[in-house]
Amino acid sequence: MADITIPSSAPRVALAAAGSDLSDSIETFLRLSELLTGFDRVELLRTGMVEPYYDEVIRVIGARDVGALLAVVDGLDAESGSETELETRLRTTILDDERYGPVARNIIAMWYLGSWAQLPREWRERNGAMSADFDRVVSAKAYREGLVWAAAGTHPMGAKQPGYASWAAPPTGERA
Amino acid sequence: MTTAAEDDLYDVIVVGAGIAGATVAKVIAGAGNRRILMLEAGRATGMSADKYQSHVEAFQATLVKVPNAPYPNNPNAPQADVLSLRQLVAQPTPHQPPGSMIGTEGALVQTGPLPFASDYVRALGGTTLHWLGTSLRMLPNDFKLQTLYGQGVDWPFGYDALKPYYERAEYEIIGVAGNVADQYYPGIDDSYFGDYEYPMERIPPSYLDQVLSQKLDGQRITVQDHEYTLKLSNTPAGRNSRPRPGYQVVGAVGNPLQGQRCEGNTNCIPICPVQAKYNALKTLYELMMLHPADGEPTPSRSSVRIVTQAVASQLTLDEHGRISGVTYKLYDDENSPAYETRTARAKVYVLAAHAIENAKLLLASGVANSSGMVGRNLMDHPLILTWGLMPEKVWGFRGPLSTSGIEPFRDGAFRDRHCAFRIEVGNEGWSFAAGAPYSTVAGMVYGKEKLFGRRLRAKVGEVIPRQFRLALEMEQIPQPSNYVTIDPSYRDALGNFRPVIRYDLPDYVRAGMAAAREASDRMFALLGVPKLSPDQDPDTFPFPGEYTAYHPTDVGYLTYGGHGYTFFGAGHVAGTHVMGSSPATSVVDPRQRSWDHDNLYMVGCGNLPTVGTSNPTLTMTALAIWAGENVLEDLRGRS
Repeated sequence: MADITIPSSAPRVALAAAGSDLSDSIETFLRLSELLTGFDRVELLRTGMVEPYYDEVIRVIGARDVGALLAVVDGLDAESGSETELETRLRTTILDDERYGPVARNIIAMWYLGSWAQLPREWRERNGAMSADFDRVVSAKAYREGLVWAAAGTHPMGAKQPGYASWAAPPTGERA
Repeated sequence: MTTAAEDDLYDVIVVGAGIAGATVAKVIAGAGNRRILMLEAGRATGMSADKYQSHVEAFQATLVKVPNAPYPNNPNAPQADVLSLRQLVAQPTPHQPPGSMIGTEGALVQTGPLPFASDYVRALGGTTLHWLGTSLRMLPNDFKLQTLYGQGVDWPFGYDALKPYYERAEYEIIGVAGNVADQYYPGIDDSYFGDYEYPMERIPPSYLDQVLSQKLDGQRITVQDHEYTLKLSNTPAGRNSRPRPGYQVVGAVGNPLQGQRCEGNTNCIPICPVQAKYNALKTLYELMMLHPADGEPTPSRSSVRIVTQAVASQLTLDEHGRISGVTYKLYDDENSPAYETRTARAKVYVLAAHAIENAKLLLASGVANSSGMVGRNLMDHPLILTWGLMPEKVWGFRGPLSTSGIEPFRDGAFRDRHCAFRIEVGNEGWSFAAGAPYSTVAGMVYGKEKLFGRRLRAKVGEVIPRQFRLALEMEQIPQPSNYVTIDPSYRDALGNFRPVIRYDLPDYVRAGMAAAREASDRMFALLGVPKLSPDQDPDTFPFPGEYTAYHPTDVGYLTYGGHGYTFFGAGHVAGTHVMGSSPATSVVDPRQRSWDHDNLYMVGCGNLPTVGTSNPTLTMTALAIWAGENVLEDLRGRS
C-alpha cells in the first residue's frame, strides 16, 4: 500500500506585510478555510467563494457563534510553531470540540463539495437549529467550485470541461 | 373544462416528441407535402443555448444528481424517477393481501416482487436528454435467440434486414462516433459492418481504458466452464468527434458552433452541457427549421406542428375498427390540474410516447390488444456494478462517462444456460457505484479518520484517481408475466392512468449476474485488485482493493445461488408492444403497424421482441426510420 505524501504548504506571509483588502472577519475565515481544506489563500480566493461561504456559515449557525469560532482561530494564529503543530492545535481546539467540530467539518465539506449538510442532532439540541440548516447545494457556482475536483486532478462533472481528447492522458503534471 | 374539436385533418399524428417520434416525423416530413402534428405531454425544453443552459444550472444546484435532476417532475405528466424507488415488501401485511399494490411512491405503481428500477423523461426531447449515447448495434445471433439457444423469441427478420437502417440511424439521426476497426464483438464476421465507417472517428479512449487494455487485452479467462478472450472495445457513441469526409457535425440546438466535439464533461447522464452528445431536440429543431408549422406544404416541404403540454389520453375508433382520433388534455400550468380536452385527427397515427406510456395509452383506449400482449414482456437491462481502487492512478472523472466495453460475453453457447451480458467500463470513478466524490469526501471528513487540511487534500488525490467501476448489464428475456398495466384507482393529476408494474427477474437472468460477477472477479485479479482482507478497513480507503458490496437493504437486492446482488435499471425500457410474425403473440407486425388497426403504428423500444445486450436507442431509431417509410408507403397507397 502506497504511503500518502503530504506536500509542504507555501510559506505564509504575514498579512500586515502583504496587505489585505478583506475585512478582519473574512480574513480570519479565510485562514480557517486554508487550515481546514489544505488549499492556500490564492487557491481559495480564485473560487470566488470565500465571502459567499462566510455568509453561508452565518446563515446556518448565526453571527454570534461565527464570531466565537473566529476568535478561536485568531488565538491559534497568534501562536507560533510549525504548520504541523498548528494543525494539532486546530484539531484539539476546533475539530475535537463539541461546539466547533461539527461546524468545522461542515465547512470542509462545503468547500470540497459545494453543499451544506444538516448538523448532527446533538449539536442542534445544544445550540439550536437555524432555518438554513438542511442538506442542500449552496449554489450552482458552489458546486462548480468544489475543491474535491482539483484535489482529484479533474474538473467538476458537468462543468469546466477539460476539452476534446484531453482525457486520453493523465492530467497535466501527473504520471501514472 | 371545455371541449373543443379540431377540424384540421393531419396526414400523421405522432404522440411523443422524443427520439422515436422525431425520427418518424423526419422521415415522413422529408418526403414533402405532408402535414404532421406532434403531441408532447411535457414542457417545451428550451431550444436555445441559454434556455438549455438553465437545465445545466439546475443540475449543478441539485443535491442528488440522479438522471432526472435537470428535468423537473411535472404532476400533469409524471415521469418515473429513481429517487422514488423503495425496496418492495416481500411479505404481505394484513392490510396488503397477496397481489395488492405495495409501492405507490413516484410515478410508477410497483407491485413487485422486484422494483422496476428505471426512469424516463417526459419533456420535449424525451429520455435522450439524459441518455449515455452508447450506440451499439445488436448482434446477428440476438435476432435468433429462440432458434439458437431456446430462449425468448426470434425476431421476424434478421440483422441483415436492419443493417441499412442502422447505417441511416448512425448518419441521419444520431451522428455516431466510432471506428469499425475498434469493434470486438463475438459472433460477427466482416459482413457485420461490410464496407462501412461511422460518420465520425471514435471518441478517444480514456486513460483508464488504456490501462485496462494493457492489463487485459489478449488474456483468456474461464467463467463457468466457458473460455473467453478479453479485449477492450471502443464504444460507438452518439457524441461528436472528428467528422469523416462528407459528414457535417451537428452542434447544439440554436447554437451550432457549440458542441462540435465532445469536451469531456463526464456528465452524459444527466445532461451534456455543450450538446456534443445527441439529443432529440436536435432532430426536432431541424424539423422546425425545414418544415415550419405555419408553412403550406409543398413537394419539397412538409408542415410539422409540435404542441407541448398536451397529454394524449385516448385513441378513438370508427365503425370500421380504424383509429378515428386522438383525444388529448392540453394544460397551461404544470401544477394545476386544469386542462382543456381536444381531439385531433389524421390518416395515420404513430405512438412514440415511450414503451410504458404507449402501453398505457393503448390499454386506456382498449385498442390494439387482440393478442393480450399490450404492456407485457416489459424488459430492461438490469445491471450490477463492481468497483475498486486500482494499484495505480487511472484518473477517473475525466472524459465522457464511458468510452469502452468488454464484449465477449455478449454471445456464445452459454446463452442456453444464462443470459448474455456486456461490460461497460465507467470513466466516473465511483460516482454511480457509491456516490463519489461526495461519499468519498464525506467518509474522510466525517468518518473514522476525520481528515482535514493538507492530509485530506493528499488523501483525496490518492484515492479518487484510483477509483474505477464496471457495469455488468444483463440481457433480460421477454416474459408476459412482467408487465405494465392500468388500474382505475391509480391516476395522475390530470386523471390519466398511472403505470402499474409487475416485475421480476428469472433465474436465467440471475444466473447471468452470477457469471458476470465471476468474470469480474477474474478481471479484478488480472488488474491487481484483490478482495480487501478482513484486517483492511474500507472506511480508510486502502488500495488496491475491491470494494463491491451488495446489502440486503439495497433497493435492487436479490439473491441467486446463495449470493446476493444489487441490480439497477439501465433505463432501457422495452417490449411492451412487441413486434412479431403472428397476431396471436405480438402487438405490431414486422412493418411496426398494429395487427388490429391498419392506420396505427407504434415506434420505440416497446417494439423490440428481445433486447440483446446493446443499449437499445440505436436499434429503436433504426426501426423508427423503417416505420416512417412504411407510414409513407401506406399514405401513398391511400392517396
